[in-house]
Amino acid sequence: MKNILQSLILTLSFSLVAPYCLAIDSQTLPDVKPGIVSMTTKDPDKRVGYSMGDIVEREVVLTIQAPYKLIETSLPIVGYEKRYRGKLIGVNLQAIEHTKQAQKDYTTHKIKLSYQIFVSTVVAKNIALGPEYIHLINTQNKKDIVKYRIPILNVSTSPLAIFGQVKVENNMSPFLPPPLLSAEKEYRWLKVASGIFVLSLLALIYILGQRAWLPRMGGRFATTFSAIKKLPDNDDGIKQAISKSHLAFNQTAGFAIFNDNLNDFLRQHPNFMPLKTEIEQFFGLSRQVYFEPGATHGVGNATMPWLLNFVRRCRDCERGLLPSPLKAKV
Amino acid sequence: MSDSQLVDWRNHALNLESEVNKVVVGQHTPIRLITTSIFARGHVLLEGDVGVGKTTLLRAFTRGIGGGYQRIEGTIDLMPNDLVYHTYLGEDGKPHVSPGPLLMSGENLSVFFFNEINRARPQVHSLLLRVMAERSLSAFNAEHYFPHMIVFADRNQVEKEETFEIPSAARDRFMMEIPIVVPNDDDIMQALVFDTKFHNVDALVETVKPDILQFDELNAFSSIIQNNIEASDTLKKYALNLWKATKNPLDYGVKVSGVDMNRLVLAGASPRGMSMMLRAARVNAWLNGRAAVLPDDIHAVFHSTVAHRLVFSPVYEMRRTEIAREMLTGIINAVAAP
Repeated sequence: MKNILQSLILTLSFSLVAPYCLAIDSQTLPDVKPGIVSMTTKDPDKRVGYSMGDIVEREVVLTIQAPYKLIETSLPIVGYEKRYRGKLIGVNLQAIEHTKQAQKDYTTHKIKLSYQIFVSTVVAKNIALGPEYIHLINTQNKKDIVKYRIPILNVSTSPLAIFGQVKVENNMSPFLPPPLLSAEKEYRWLKVASGIFVLSLLALIYILGQRAWLPRMGGRFATTFSAIKKLPDNDDGIKQAISKSHLAFNQTAGFAIFNDNLNDFLRQHPNFMPLKTEIEQFFGLSRQVYFEPGATHGVGNATMPWLLNFVRRCRDCERGLLPSPLKAKV
Repeated sequence: MSDSQLVDWRNHALNLESEVNKVVVGQHTPIRLITTSIFARGHVLLEGDVGVGKTTLLRAFTRGIGGGYQRIEGTIDLMPNDLVYHTYLGEDGKPHVSPGPLLMSGENLSVFFFNEINRARPQVHSLLLRVMAERSLSAFNAEHYFPHMIVFADRNQVEKEETFEIPSAARDRFMMEIPIVVPNDDDIMQALVFDTKFHNVDALVETVKPDILQFDELNAFSSIIQNNIEASDTLKKYALNLWKATKNPLDYGVKVSGVDMNRLVLAGASPRGMSMMLRAARVNAWLNGRAAVLPDDIHAVFHSTVAHRLVFSPVYEMRRTEIAREMLTGIINAVAAP
């Protein structure tokens, strides 16, 4: 009976002392030399407002240079309740996920820690998660064991309910900005509207620059066609129509076109080739009207309708289309 | 004169061209221009290398139009009196005077060819230019007239040694400057070298039908052409714009590569030059069977009647031919009618 009691006392004493032995070990180990371990953490955006049962997840990525290696048994133990100066602080390590990726010169450890809050306070209160100490061992010298400290993460808890009159201003956390309404939908519409605006602006610049709604519209012959339509069907109108048509030809070619360089123009603008005969007739008409009243041209007596038709067909050629068939009336 | 006579004369002119084209091959454009100048009664400056057929060309034309043909070579020691007379000691041991090339054919002189005019001194130029302008000469206490004469002068643009450049005022007396170049066509070049009919120039010229035209009727007929071929108001305006463009090419957007256009032109075409251009254009219209001048007729004679009249800055004189051609082509491309 005495033996049983002694072994019970011994077991109880050991179980009470063991954690302290581990802690003592970590504290007594030397710190790892700078440059051996590099660390990044992915902490939660929310740092405040935690209450009973909430889980705070933290991801730590450690890169440990060779020849040091992580002693995986030194990783935090699930279920371990955090203490501060020996007193429980109400935070429990609820889960840990550990993956590693070994390279020739270093090993990357991804450690995901999930802490669960087990505290309820009547006022907002800070809680420190961590620090966690991990141990590294030099694979070339087994006696060389060092520690590395994963820094703490400060969060704060909030009461589930407020008792009595509380001045909210006094209890406002500097960590928590005023909650904002989601404007994601409005931002999306703003982007769409901005896109439409920019496209409209480009279209406007194009229209003003080209003086045309669509590419190939608003060309020389299109303008001439519009102008000729307004001219009267008399000698003066015909003279003006011929002059404007000549101008359209000259502007299209980039040089003054006459009978003697008409073929040069057709070579440079083959889309006008289907109208070769009519263009020659037009130059014959121009010759008769402007230079030689007795000259023949083969246009016929309905000069103005013929001119309108001719310029319309030239407009088709200008747009890269096959000229529309001759019409009796324009 | 009726229209049928205009047509008859035109047929004769085309016949003359055809005959000359048989003798001087590959020179259709110069032959057309020379025909034009004959009917426009204008003197011609021929430009080309030696041995390209200038003399043959002129002899063939002279045979076709009839009348006297005289020729003189320009040399540095040529004096004005060498054109009028020459002196010699006769068999009787006494000095004698005989007429020089200008007087030798009398009033029947129809073609006077001055070969390498730029080798002669300015005094000789001076006499020739007077004869060209007035078609008369004072010598031996008498006034001699050459009413049917057309002067053809030749100059070699390449050789500059021992030459006297013809001043712009003198160039202006010529209606046209016509370049004569060797044809590019291989068949023609081969014929010129291997075809024996081209070896004997005298026999070659003999093949041209003589007296196709009557040289002493050309002056009168020229006036008829000028009076019968119309020039519309639009054409006159076009010619005027061309003239203005020769004076201020930049105003018409004409540019020549590598040339400062603000400094290029010292003087554009002269009024006489433009009048000659229109005379030539009228003849060209008539030769093409038209009753009125078209812009195309002006284009046909524009380079040959205007290029040699332009006065350029001295720095550009060495490139005169090339610059004048580019500038005048630019003017034709820039000035529209209507």
